Amino acid sequence: MIKSIAARIVACVIAVIAVALIGMGVFGTSQRTSPQGAALIENMRNHALVNATTGEGAVDSFVSAAQQRARAETKGQGMDAMKKAVAAAEAEVRASMSNMKVDLDGLDTAPLSTATDALIAARKDYSNAEEAAMQAYVQDMIEKGEVEGSAAPADQAEQAPVAVDGAGEAGMSDLEMPSQSDEPKVDMSGFTATPEMDKMQGIVNERFEDVSAALVSIQPLLDRDAMAQLEGAINQLVYQPGDRFETEYDRYVEAGGESAIPNDLMTARIIRYGDDLITVGIGLIILALLVLFYRKIVNAMGFPRMIIGGFFILLCIVAILYDLSIADLLSNTIVRMGMNSIMVLAMVPGIQSGISLNLGLPIGIVGGLLGGLLCIELGYSGLPGFVFAILVGIVIAAVLGYLYGLLLNRLKGSEMAVTTYVGFSIVSLMCIVWLVMPFNSLVLRWPMGGGLRQTVSLEPAFQFILDRFLAFKIGGITIPTGLLLFMGLCCFLMWLFTRSKTGVAMQAVGNNPRFAEATGISVDKMRIIGTMLSTILGAVGILVYSQSFGFIQLYTHPRTLGLVAASAILIGGATTGRARISQVLIGTFLFQGVLTLGMPVANALVPGSTIAETMRILISNGIILYALTKSGGDSRA
Amino acid sequence: MRKSFDLKSFLTKNAVTIMFVLLCILCYSFSGYTLSGLIGQMVDRLTRNAFIVLALIIPIVAGMGINFAITIGAMAAQIALLWVMEWQIPGVQGFLVAALLTLPIATFFGYLVGKLLNQMKGQEMIGSLILGYFATGVYQLLFLFVFGNLIPMTAPNLVIKGSTGIANTLDLKPLNMMYALDDIWKLSFDRALYVVAGLFIAYALIRYLLKKLDFKALIRAVVTMVVICAAIQIPVVKGWFATIRIPMVTMFVIMLLCVFNVAIMRTKLGQNFRAVGQNGVVANAAGINVNRTRLIAIIFSTVLAGWGQLIFVQNMGSLQTYGAHEQVGLYAGAAILVGGASIVKATNGQALLGCLLFHLLFLVAPAAAKNVFGDPAIGEYFRVFVSYGVIAVALVMHAWSSHVKAKPENAIKEAGKLATDNT
Repeated sequence: MIKSIAARIVACVIAVIAVALIGMGVFGTSQRTSPQGAALIENMRNHALVNATTGEGAVDSFVSAAQQRARAETKGQGMDAMKKAVAAAEAEVRASMSNMKVDLDGLDTAPLSTATDALIAARKDYSNAEEAAMQAYVQDMIEKGEVEGSAAPADQAEQAPVAVDGAGEAGMSDLEMPSQSDEPKVDMSGFTATPEMDKMQGIVNERFEDVSAALVSIQPLLDRDAMAQLEGAINQLVYQPGDRFETEYDRYVEAGGESAIPNDLMTARIIRYGDDLITVGIGLIILALLVLFYRKIVNAMGFPRMIIGGFFILLCIVAILYDLSIADLLSNTIVRMGMNSIMVLAMVPGIQSGISLNLGLPIGIVGGLLGGLLCIELGYSGLPGFVFAILVGIVIAAVLGYLYGLLLNRLKGSEMAVTTYVGFSIVSLMCIVWLVMPFNSLVLRWPMGGGLRQTVSLEPAFQFILDRFLAFKIGGITIPTGLLLFMGLCCFLMWLFTRSKTGVAMQAVGNNPRFAEATGISVDKMRIIGTMLSTILGAVGILVYSQSFGFIQLYTHPRTLGLVAASAILIGGATTGRARISQVLIGTFLFQGVLTLGMPVANALVPGSTIAETMRILISNGIILYALTKSGGDSRA
Repeated sequence: MRKSFDLKSFLTKNAVTIMFVLLCILCYSFSGYTLSGLIGQMVDRLTRNAFIVLALIIPIVAGMGINFAITIGAMAAQIALLWVMEWQIPGVQGFLVAALLTLPIATFFGYLVGKLLNQMKGQEMIGSLILGYFATGVYQLLFLFVFGNLIPMTAPNLVIKGSTGIANTLDLKPLNMMYALDDIWKLSFDRALYVVAGLFIAYALIRYLLKKLDFKALIRAVVTMVVICAAIQIPVVKGWFATIRIPMVTMFVIMLLCVFNVAIMRTKLGQNFRAVGQNGVVANAAGINVNRTRLIAIIFSTVLAGWGQLIFVQNMGSLQTYGAHEQVGLYAGAAILVGGASIVKATNGQALLGCLLFHLLFLVAPAAAKNVFGDPAIGEYFRVFVSYGVIAVALVMHAWSSHVKAKPENAIKEAGKLATDNT
């Protein structure tokens, strides 16, 4: 009772803070376009401008201008005289600059402001014109057919794979997806300014004259040469393409503009970070809800799903705070969910038929890999190639799965440890097979000996065949329609199967083998069916995975995939004894979402670190451990 | 008739070991190693790895299978070693301080591991395997983001400027810790043999004087030792061992652990291990605290593995900060199974034999593959395959035999389950 009251109080406090933050944030963002915001920005801009003409960098440009002048004046009078004059000019300028401190407070900044506004408008026009011209140029070049095409991902160095992993288990570093950009790359070196742009540039130059006149009136020491030196810096300062309040603010802060508004600093910061405040506020509200309904949520979702879900939301919030592109991240998450989902789905028949988590998934994966390799070797491509690969994969996986099922039937009760090591052994056995495989295609093998490549490009075969099918964009998020459809189809077929007579029998075997046997169901047969299905789905899964990834990864890569798939379905809320298809989808989304968001966020927090990989190890193994403690607690004393 | 039956059962019981012996001989014949070179390498590898393999015995006896979580013991040792390097304690003292420091850390880790494994009875092996992976993540967090960042390190070369966390490789040579234990007392092979033979004869004599050994057995022991010492004098044999020097202290430490493993089984605690290992339900009924016994077994194993890792690292001379612990569980587990142990029964002899055979194959397989296929990578993959394969086969064979045995016992097991459910 006390606990729940305390929870309520905590939740209320958090909620109040959250509402306050959101209020401030809404106020801040709404003020961005208001007169107050504009006044603040203008003030800062003026200050930044003056700073730019008197600060450290400005002094240097003055000095160099004066030096140049001195050099010009003393031309032909011999080296010594020139050196002396230059040094004298420098000393003079430095001396005069040292006491040059402009106090804007007492000055009328109106002319400067108007001039700057005009300059900004002109620059805006210019950059719009430039963009339009560039687009026209690109369009033109594409029509002419001078496109380099999507850049082929750089292949690994052409050497045989001698680096056998000693470390191994942590080796799944496919977090970095190869770029899938559809954008054709056009060589821009031939691009020249259009007449219109030149005209705009002229206006910009004129406006700049005005600004420099205003600046000179404030700061009499400035002269034409100095202003010419500073032109680039000032232009950069006042406007950059795609400017928003935040970017402008940050730029002026960097140029020392914050000291212009000592009284309004708080307001200015609230306005600047308004959106971040809203994000944090929303995060806190979610936290408050979590605290308030902790028990109910845990009951409904289970502890691990809540933790991972919460973590996912947290990552989203941090990603927004760090201005990472959420649309890109979500697109990636969707693709990764699709490509992994079939392998996660492979866990379902295993769990339902009572062989628990099929950590021997690499057995099926090997079948799929063989199918894919055969497809490349025989030169099939496109959809027929993909279908061929899947069919071959299914056949091989079915045979392997049958044998594997026979083995598992003799090991009832201790499947998991055995399947893990059988899977590991198969993967390392296949490592040898890959080395001696008599394939001829140069896509597959190294030019000189050494067996098959570590990563085989699927470009000539069925790269992205599902991802690109009917793909479209919504609000920056790319939807890989084909991939999602295929995922849906597989899930639907699986669902149909669980509703069929055989499927029901299989589930009965998984739930209670003795009861099933008593009702006349052949336990061994059903377990074999479950194992075969799981293995076959593993084969299909790796092909879907590979077409999305763009490469077939051989050697030690498949080893951890079984563990990854198992942890995904466990995150979805399955246990070692029960699994549903919805759990596959939820689990894959959450797990892959956390991984996809985790890497850029981790890199934003701690640049250049491997914390994302560490996180993957912790989540994926932690969830399996959790599931093991549950299953051990249930079934054994 | 009787004899042929014995042979058959001997063959089936030791199938894995025999297969391994044949494999080793085959690979050796293709590897191009000279015998003396091979023996030298093997002495190195044996002294380096045997301790960790021996650390697996207690949990096996206690019925928890192969404790793959000994990686966590290795991590404890590496944490201790890091701090010794931070404090710049050189040589043997440094090694001893690291060993002392390993004790509390590994005990604590072992306690946590034991607690967790008690939550997953019957699934200990997969549990300890995954736990080892999980701990690798925690270890990375610790070494990448805590040490050197939150807790600053001042000693040179521990943290490399411009990168996060502790350096990839920690060199023990500046602190004179390489061979800290090995170099205390080294003897040439024949002298080491005399020392061991002398000790053995003294041991037999004491047993005889205590009337635990009859006179015939004493004579047999003495004669065997003398013959072995004489055999080493043959020039050919002497040539094989000529360049080999035995690190006596390391050898004694390993022997001490063997004695410890035997001795502890004679104590009350050891009997408890055995009882729990044979049948947890019965042990529980007999008044043994099953969970506590299992916890102690894991703590022992973790601490011993930590010390084993220290021996390993001082022999290697440098610590691969992020990789040294990863394969410890796999290789040690595979080694003990190769020696003929199962996941419910293991002895010192099996551990040592397994260690010998496993590392022999490790040595000769890549060389043989290079000579036969012209590609050392095949040998590399082959030995990884063998490590996993041996464990898989051992698990399958065990599960198979217990599956066959289990049928009439099902009812008893169920009853036991009910009984403990009710308590």
